[in-house]
Amino acid sequence: MPLTGLQIFKLLPNTNCRECGVPTCLAFAMKLAAGKESLDKCPYASEQAKAALGAASAPPIRGVTIGRGERAITVGEETVFFRHEKTFVRRPGLFQVLGTQGLDESWLSTRIERAGETFQVDGVAVVEAPAAPELCAAAAERGFPVAVLASTPEGAAAMAERIRDHRPLLVPPAGTNSAAYVSLAARLGIPLVVSGIDLAVEAARCGVADLLLEPPGDNPQSLHHSLTAIRRGALDRIHPGLGYPVFLRAGKFETAVLGISKFASVLAIEKPGIETWLPLWTLRQNIYTDPQKPLQMDAGVYPIGEPDDKSPLLVTTNFSLTYFVVSSELESAGLASHLAVVEAEGLSVLTAWSAGKFSGDRVAKALRAMRATERVSHRTVIIPGYVSIISGELEDALNEGWRVLVGPQEASDLAPYFRDVWDAVRAE
Amino acid sequence: MMPDLKPKKWAGAIRTVTLGAGSRRPLTVGGGNGLPLHTFEGEFPHRPLLALEINGADAAGADLVMVRVNGSPEEAAAEVRAVLDRVDVPLIVKGPGAGPKQNEVLARVAEEFSGEGLVLHSACQEDYKTLAAVAVAYGHVLAAESPIDMNLAKQLNILLADASMDLNRVLIDPFTGGLGYGLEYTYSVMERIRLAALGGDAMLNSPMICLVGPEAWKAKEARVSGVNWEVATALPLIEAGAEVVVLRHPESLARLRGQLDSWFGGDACR
Repeated sequence: MPLTGLQIFKLLPNTNCRECGVPTCLAFAMKLAAGKESLDKCPYASEQAKAALGAASAPPIRGVTIGRGERAITVGEETVFFRHEKTFVRRPGLFQVLGTQGLDESWLSTRIERAGETFQVDGVAVVEAPAAPELCAAAAERGFPVAVLASTPEGAAAMAERIRDHRPLLVPPAGTNSAAYVSLAARLGIPLVVSGIDLAVEAARCGVADLLLEPPGDNPQSLHHSLTAIRRGALDRIHPGLGYPVFLRAGKFETAVLGISKFASVLAIEKPGIETWLPLWTLRQNIYTDPQKPLQMDAGVYPIGEPDDKSPLLVTTNFSLTYFVVSSELESAGLASHLAVVEAEGLSVLTAWSAGKFSGDRVAKALRAMRATERVSHRTVIIPGYVSIISGELEDALNEGWRVLVGPQEASDLAPYFRDVWDAVRAE
Repeated sequence: MMPDLKPKKWAGAIRTVTLGAGSRRPLTVGGGNGLPLHTFEGEFPHRPLLALEINGADAAGADLVMVRVNGSPEEAAAEVRAVLDRVDVPLIVKGPGAGPKQNEVLARVAEEFSGEGLVLHSACQEDYKTLAAVAVAYGHVLAAESPIDMNLAKQLNILLADASMDLNRVLIDPFTGGLGYGLEYTYSVMERIRLAALGGDAMLNSPMICLVGPEAWKAKEARVSGVNWEVATALPLIEAGAEVVVLRHPESLARLRGQLDSWFGGDACR
C-alpha cells in the first residue's frame, strides 16, 4: 500500500513553514498521500523522506521488457487484484516452447484477427540443447522475443550470449537457486526468472533489476495459492522481492488457463496449434479487456460469407460482442449478407437506442456515410428486433423507396427469420 | 521462497444448499467462508459440483445432470421420469424460457416429482411467482437468473424471499457469457457477487450456477477447439465462484474433476 498521510507526516519537518504553499505539514502530507502534491515542493524534506516516498510511489509490480524491436513485449505494471477494481493492463505474453522440433514456420507465422486484435505467438521459449543457440538466433532474427529454458549455466550462456542484443529472458531450471544464472543475467544485462522472493532481492542487489518470479506449485491448488499470494503480497507491498511479474511453465492446458486468469505475465505453452491456443488467446482478450471500455468495432459494412448485391443488408451497433454474436449466427447458418456496423460508442443495441445513438436518423446517416445502401440492388434493410420502434423514422430518413424490416430480437433466431421472412420478402 | 500471507477473514459465508431428495442421493453445495478456491485461508465444506447436460445418455461420472424439457407438460413429465428412472443423482430441469409455457411445464414437473429436490431452471425478475410457489409447495430448489447484473441478482432474491422462498433453496444464475462472447462480464459480476456475499450480504450469498455447456458449444470456435473451449470457459468461472457447472462433454467434466480434486481431494462430494 502507498504511504498514508500520517506516515508521510512523520517524515516531514513539522515546522509549518508554508513554503510549499500549504498552511501545515499535516495538510501537505495529506495532499501527498492523495497524489495531489509533489515532495519537491518542500525545500526541507530529508533524504530519508525522499527515499521512502520514492519507493512507496513506485508501481507495485515492475514493468519488464523482453525482446527488442517491434515485437518486444512488456509485462507487469499491474495495480489491482480484481479486474473490476480498475483493469488489468499488460496482456501476458504467450510463448511457444521449442524443443528439438525447431521452428515450425507455418505455426509461428499464424495470425488470427478477433475483435480488433491480432492473435499470434508472442515469443518462443527455447529448450536447452546442443543446437539451441542456432535456434535462438533464427527466432531472434525473425523478431520473436526469446526465453531461454536452461538446464545448465553453460548451456544457458551459450544460448543467451548468442542473442544478447535481443534481450532474451533467462529461465533457470524450476526451483533453482544457483548464483551462476544471476551473474549471467547481470553480465548480459538481460531479464531473469527467479524462484523465490529472497532470490529476487539478492538478484536485484547483484544488479539484475528486471526479474520475473516463477511460483512454486506443481498442482492446481498450490499454483493458485502461489499466484494469489504473489499478486496480493505485491500490491500490499509486504516484501520487496514480490514486486515483479510472474513466469509460468504451462505444460498442461488447464495450467495456462489458470495462469491467464490469475496474474501470470509470461507463459511458456508446450503444445502448438489452434486447438490449444485459440481458447487461450481469447481468454486473455476477455480477462484483459478494460471493464470500463467495452470493445468496439470500427464502423463499416462487414461481409458475411460471400455476399452479392442481392444479399440481405442488416444493421447493428459497434459493440464488439453484438457484432460477434450476430456475425457468428449468420456464419453458422450460412447466410451470406452485408452487416453494417454503426458507430454507437460500443453500446449494445438497446443501450445505444436509449442513449439516442441508434435513432432512425442516425442510422440512416451512418448507412449513407458508409455507402451501405450502394452494396445492394434491393432497397431493404433489416434492423434488430429490439429497436423495431425506429423502423418508421428510418424509412423516412432513408427515403427513396427504402423499406425497413424488423429482424428478430435474439441473434439465435436469425436463421429461422431468414427462412420465414426474408425468403418470402425476396419473392415478392 | 514465497510470502506468508496474512489470511483474509470475512464477515459472511456462502449459504449451503442441498440438491436432490427423495429417491435422489442428495448433494450439498456452498458453505465456503472465503474467496473461491482460496482453501489456504478459509473453510470450504463442499466442493463445486459438475453437472452434465444429458439427452438420453447416462450420467457419465457427473455429480448431477441437467435435462431440457420442451413440449407439453405431459411430454416434459415423461422426459423427467425417464431420467429419474435411469440415474440416482440430483436433477436440474431446464424449461424453455420464461413465460406461461415454462410455468405450466415446470409446475407440472414440480408437482409430479414432489419431494425429489429438483433444481428448477429458472426464475427471473419478470416471472418468478409460479416457480417460487411450486418450489415451496413441492420441495424443490430454484435457480434465480439475472442478466449479468449484481443489483438485479440481489433484487430477485429479495423478491423470492418475499414470495416465501427459503433462500437456502436458491442458486444464483448470473447468466453465462461464452468464452469470447461476454465471459468477462459474467466473470466480473461473479467476483463482485462473491465479495458482497463474503462482506455479509445475505441476499447475495447463494451458491452460483453456470450453464457452460450450451454457451461454449454455440461458439463456432468450439468446432476447432472442442473440449478445450468448454474447459477454458468453465475453469475461470469456477475461479470466480461457480459452484454448480453444467457441461456438455463428458471429457470436459473429467478434466475439470481432475482439477478440482487438487483442491478438494479425490473424495466423492457426496
